[in-house]
Amino acid sequence: MGETIEEYLLRHGVSRRQFLKYCGILAGAMGLSAAAPVGASGLPRYLTSGATLAEQVAQALETRPRLPVIWLEFQDCAGCTEALTRSQSPTLVDLVLNQISIDYHETLFAAAGAQAEEARLAAMEAYAGQYLLVVEGSVPTGGTGLFCTIGGRTALDILEEAAAGAAAIVATGNCAAFGGLPKASPNPTEAKGVWEVLPDATVVNIPGCPAIPEATTGTVAQFLVFGTLPELDDLNRPKTFYGTTIHDRCQRRPFYDAGKFAMSFDDEGARQGWCLYKLGCKGPTTYNACATMKWDAGLSFPIQSGHPCLGCSQPDFWDGGGFYQGQSAPLGPPTLSRIGLAAGAGALVGVGVAAATKARRKPAPASAEPTESEG
Amino acid sequence: MDWDAFLRFLRGPLFDVALVVFVAGLAYRIVRVVALGWRRDRAPAMGSRAGGIVTSYAKGIGIWPFIPWVKDSFRGNAVTFLAGGLFHLGLFVVIFLGTAHMLVWKRLLGFGWPTLSLPVVDFLAAGAIASMIALLVNRFTQPVMRKLTGAPEMANWVFVFLPMLTGYMMTHHMFFRYEVLFSLHMLAVNVLLIWIPFSRIPHFAFYFFSRTIHGSQFGKRAVTP
Repeated sequence: MGETIEEYLLRHGVSRRQFLKYCGILAGAMGLSAAAPVGASGLPRYLTSGATLAEQVAQALETRPRLPVIWLEFQDCAGCTEALTRSQSPTLVDLVLNQISIDYHETLFAAAGAQAEEARLAAMEAYAGQYLLVVEGSVPTGGTGLFCTIGGRTALDILEEAAAGAAAIVATGNCAAFGGLPKASPNPTEAKGVWEVLPDATVVNIPGCPAIPEATTGTVAQFLVFGTLPELDDLNRPKTFYGTTIHDRCQRRPFYDAGKFAMSFDDEGARQGWCLYKLGCKGPTTYNACATMKWDAGLSFPIQSGHPCLGCSQPDFWDGGGFYQGQSAPLGPPTLSRIGLAAGAGALVGVGVAAATKARRKPAPASAEPTESEG
Repeated sequence: MDWDAFLRFLRGPLFDVALVVFVAGLAYRIVRVVALGWRRDRAPAMGSRAGGIVTSYAKGIGIWPFIPWVKDSFRGNAVTFLAGGLFHLGLFVVIFLGTAHMLVWKRLLGFGWPTLSLPVVDFLAAGAIASMIALLVNRFTQPVMRKLTGAPEMANWVFVFLPMLTGYMMTHHMFFRYEVLFSLHMLAVNVLLIWIPFSRIPHFAFYFFSRTIHGSQFGKRAVTP
């Protein structure tokens, strides 16, 4: 076995005290701080009972070899990476991205061009079958996949090559998980999420636009520290972070239950912090940890700041109706012409059938005349 | 199962189709009734037709429901009268004054209106559901009602009851995930919309025809009840 993570960190000047501090941060990042997520984390029992959580992490880091992370970007805006690097938990991001191990990341790399590609290939070769592959951005499959190429190779090609030697794959952000914005109708590039392109591989989806940095690093950390993946829901999202809806944990939920809704963004209801359902909130059908983990070190999240949830961690949220349109409303407004046409067609058939009935009855005696209602 | 995709289908294409069937079917039914025609009325008017219409509506909506005991229909079967009234009141409030449904109208018509608070709508919705159950029990316990009950009547009850039930469950996040309940509700609503033109449910439109025509006749003959 190669160098353990602890040995690697100590060699890079991290003190034992700092190391233990990191362990505590990692335990928190993996959602190990409460009883339920520990059970849901999918870790072996000996790791989830007995010693304190930080100690469990320390024990694991002392024995686990350091593993590289290869971070690919395809049809994306790099927003998930931006969210990570601007996260208000710099120690964690620094730990996972810099200390533990990003061996290839186009946005964060100082190297560029052929040098960067060489680094990726070298890491893939050295750690074949062991590295963690993180993908950001959707994969275009239209045409010959030429809508996104890096170093002259298509995203699809690079992904398949990298996935073949990966120990685990994490798709971060809605684009990588479910296709995201590039997949929005009419989806000109035939963009797909990673798990659609790699149906045989286990892909952990961390959707969001962007993904919550702590959800991504927490999942990456769990794999790096324990070598396991968290328990997933039916959309392959870790239950630790995506187990409940925004609505279930929303601080404005009591107002929903009481029927108190903000009607516009500047009315008294909005100022009073009432429910944003009427303003298009998608919280009831959106599974994510925004309402509990929040952003910027727990400072706030969209609904707390007065904006309805867009449902950005759900598949095809871009085509799920207007962002400011109530969730109960039909997706497409029926055009007047269609409704008019339907009414006209119905009426026309009615007139036709009535005329035919009348014509058929004409030879009959006078008693068949239309009768008058007598009330 | 991908409930998100199923829900998008139910809220999108299927709802559009259901709405077209509903509108076309209703137009057909109305035209067929209007096309039955009227025989020429040669008798001179004894009173005001307009007055008769106004009186008929005022009494039908504003007076009889509050003094039901003067009506034969109430004395004959009070459950039908009371539960039927409560059901229609609840249905009206839920469909037009419930927040979620107003947003549907807003999307269809382009404008919205103020709504009642959720607890009030919720109470009336529960009342409507309970009324429907009472009406069903009444239907099977009353010999006359039982004789009048066939497959179409049962289909009407089921297709109206399911949207009410799933809507109530959805509001209260009962038993299933929200998107599942939302899907079931939309499915039930779409089925109901498609079923309405083939059923007796269009009485919500024909009620106004009959009340207007009867009121007009009452007024003309000066026999306004």
